[in-house]
Amino acid sequence: MKVSTKDDLMAWLDRLAERYTLIAPKDVEGHILYRPVAGSEEIAFDFTKAALSPKEHFLPSTQVILSIERKGEGIELKEPSLERERIIFGIRPCDAKALRVLDALFLEEPIDPYYAERREKTTLIGLACREMGDECFCTSLGGAPDDASDVDLMLTEVEGGYAVQVVTEKGKAIVGDLPLKEVEGSPPKPIVHEEKVPIPELDAWPQHFNDEYWARLADRCLSCRLCTYVCPTCRCFDVRDYPSSDDAIERLRAWDSCLAEGYRRIAGGYNPRPTKMQRLRNRFYCKFYYYPKDFGPVACVGCGRCIINCPVNIDIVEVLRDVATL
Amino acid sequence: MALKNPYRPYLGTLVGIKDLATNIKLFQVELNDPQEREAFTYRPGQFAFVSAFGVGEAPFSITSSPSRSQVLEFAINRVGTVTSALHRMSEGDVVGIRGPFGNGFPLEEMEGKNIVILGGGIGGAPLRPIIHTVIDNRSKYGKLTILWAARNPSLLIFTDEFDEWRAAPDTELHLTVDRADETWTGNVGLITELLEKVAPSPENAVSITCGPPIMIKFTMLTLKKLGFAPEQMIMTLEAKMKCGIGKCGRCNLGDKFICTDGPVFNYAEVSEFLESF
Repeated sequence: MKVSTKDDLMAWLDRLAERYTLIAPKDVEGHILYRPVAGSEEIAFDFTKAALSPKEHFLPSTQVILSIERKGEGIELKEPSLERERIIFGIRPCDAKALRVLDALFLEEPIDPYYAERREKTTLIGLACREMGDECFCTSLGGAPDDASDVDLMLTEVEGGYAVQVVTEKGKAIVGDLPLKEVEGSPPKPIVHEEKVPIPELDAWPQHFNDEYWARLADRCLSCRLCTYVCPTCRCFDVRDYPSSDDAIERLRAWDSCLAEGYRRIAGGYNPRPTKMQRLRNRFYCKFYYYPKDFGPVACVGCGRCIINCPVNIDIVEVLRDVATL
Repeated sequence: MALKNPYRPYLGTLVGIKDLATNIKLFQVELNDPQEREAFTYRPGQFAFVSAFGVGEAPFSITSSPSRSQVLEFAINRVGTVTSALHRMSEGDVVGIRGPFGNGFPLEEMEGKNIVILGGGIGGAPLRPIIHTVIDNRSKYGKLTILWAARNPSLLIFTDEFDEWRAAPDTELHLTVDRADETWTGNVGLITELLEKVAPSPENAVSITCGPPIMIKFTMLTLKKLGFAPEQMIMTLEAKMKCGIGKCGRCNLGDKFICTDGPVFNYAEVSEFLESF
C-alpha cells in the first residue's frame, strides 16, 4: 500500500485549498458538517459520520436555479453556475454511494444541469470508516465501511498516516504532489456488525401495501420530516419565487419531504394523500420499491441517520425486518 | 424539442386574455423568440408550466391544438397564488413557458374508434385539443360523444364552441350541471347520471375523462357498469408538480410519475392508485 504521513497529507490539503474549494468535515457547534474550509487545520478527522451527508453540496437545501431580472418591459433570465472546481474531503463510503443513487435520477435524461455541474466539478476524497457505527447497516445494502467504489481517491487510516488508493482519473489528477511511501501489507479491515438486516426483494413489497402495519407505524409519526432532511438519498424538492430586490427575483429550489402534510395538496385544497399513514408508507415504498423499479438502485445506503434523528424512534431497520417477516 | 436546461422557461407574451367562465380565463401566449416559437411542438394532452415571474410557476394542460392555433392557449382557473397572479395580468405582459411535458393522448390508437369525451369543469381544458383533432380529422375517427359538465352553468367552459361541436358530423354534445340557475333549461345532475342516460356503447370505443378526482373516480365506476374495459378508459391526471421531468418527486402514483409516465393513463395502469397511494 501507498502511505502518506498525516503531516504530508495536511500540507497537501492546504495546497489543494488554494486551487479548489475544499469542503471537509468540520466541527460546527458540536455537529460534524461538510463545510468549505480555508485550510487543513479546520478539518475534523475523528468522527463516525457527519450529521448531514455531503448531499447538500450537490442538491443544496436551498439553491437559486434562476435569477430573473426585470429590464424595462422585458425580462432577463440567468442561470447560476459554480465558479470553482471543488474537492470534498473525508466523504464516507455510504454517503458517496448515496451520490450514485442520486445520479441514477438526476443524470437520467433530461439531465438536471445544476446537479450535473456539481458532480462534474467535484472530486471526492473518501475516508474509510474504522468501524461501523451503532446504527449503521451499510453492509446489508451491498456497501462496506471501506468501499472505494464511489470515490475518486480513498484514504484509510493506518499506522503512521493514511493509506492512499487512487480509484479514478479524477483522483489521479490531484494526488500528484502528495508524498507517498510504499509500505508492506494492506490497510486493516474495518470492524463490521456480524448480523445483517434483511432487505426484502422488490416483489415482496406490493403484497404489503394495504397492511394494517403502516397505520400502526404511522400512529406515532410526528410528520417532522427529519428523516428526509438527514437522508443522503431523499431528493424531493419544491420550487418557489422570491423577490431579491425591486427588480430582481430568485427562483429557488429547496428540499421538500413527502411526509409534509401539504406535500401533495393541489391548489383548490384537494389532498390526494391526506393521511399520515399514506405519507409514511410512501417514504418506505419509495426507498425500497418505487425508486429501484424506476431508477435502479435502492434509495437507502444504510447510514442510519434517520434512526438517530427520529424523535419517536421509527426505525428503518425494524421496518425492514418487519416487512421481511410480515 | 430538447431543452438545454429544462428548468429555464421560454419567455412569452400574453397576446390575448378571454373570459371563459366564472374565475376561468383563456390565456393566449406567443413565445417571444421566433426560433423557440418554431421549435415548440406539442401533442394534444401535453402540458407546460406557466410562470408568473416573482410569484412562481404551475403546470397547466395546453388547451390549444397544434393544428389550429399559432399561439399556445391555457384555460386557467383562479384557485391559488400563481393562478391569481396570472389573472391579474394584462395583454402584453411577459410570462414564462416551460415544456411541453408529458405523454399526450394515444391519438394513433384512437383512430377508427368511437370517442367518448367526459369533461368536468376546468377538466375540459386538456380535452379540447382532442375534440378539435377529431373534428379536424373527422374521417379518421368514429362517433364523437361529448359529455360536458360543470357545478353550475356559469362554470361551463368553451361555451362559444358548442355550436361548432354540435354541427360536426357524427358528433353529439350533452351538457349537464350539478345545480341549475334561472337561465338553465338543460340537464341537471351529475355527469355519471348523464353518462348512464346517454349510455355510449363500449364496442370499439375509448373514453377520455378529465375532471376533479371525485368525478374521475365515479365516472370510472359508471363506465365499468356500461361495459368499458379498463384499457378503454383513458384519463388525464394532475398533481402539484414542481419540475415536469420526473425529478422533484411530487407527482408519483406508486412507481409512476404523472409528469413523465402521464398525465394520460388508462384505468388499468392506475386503478390501484386512484384510491390510496
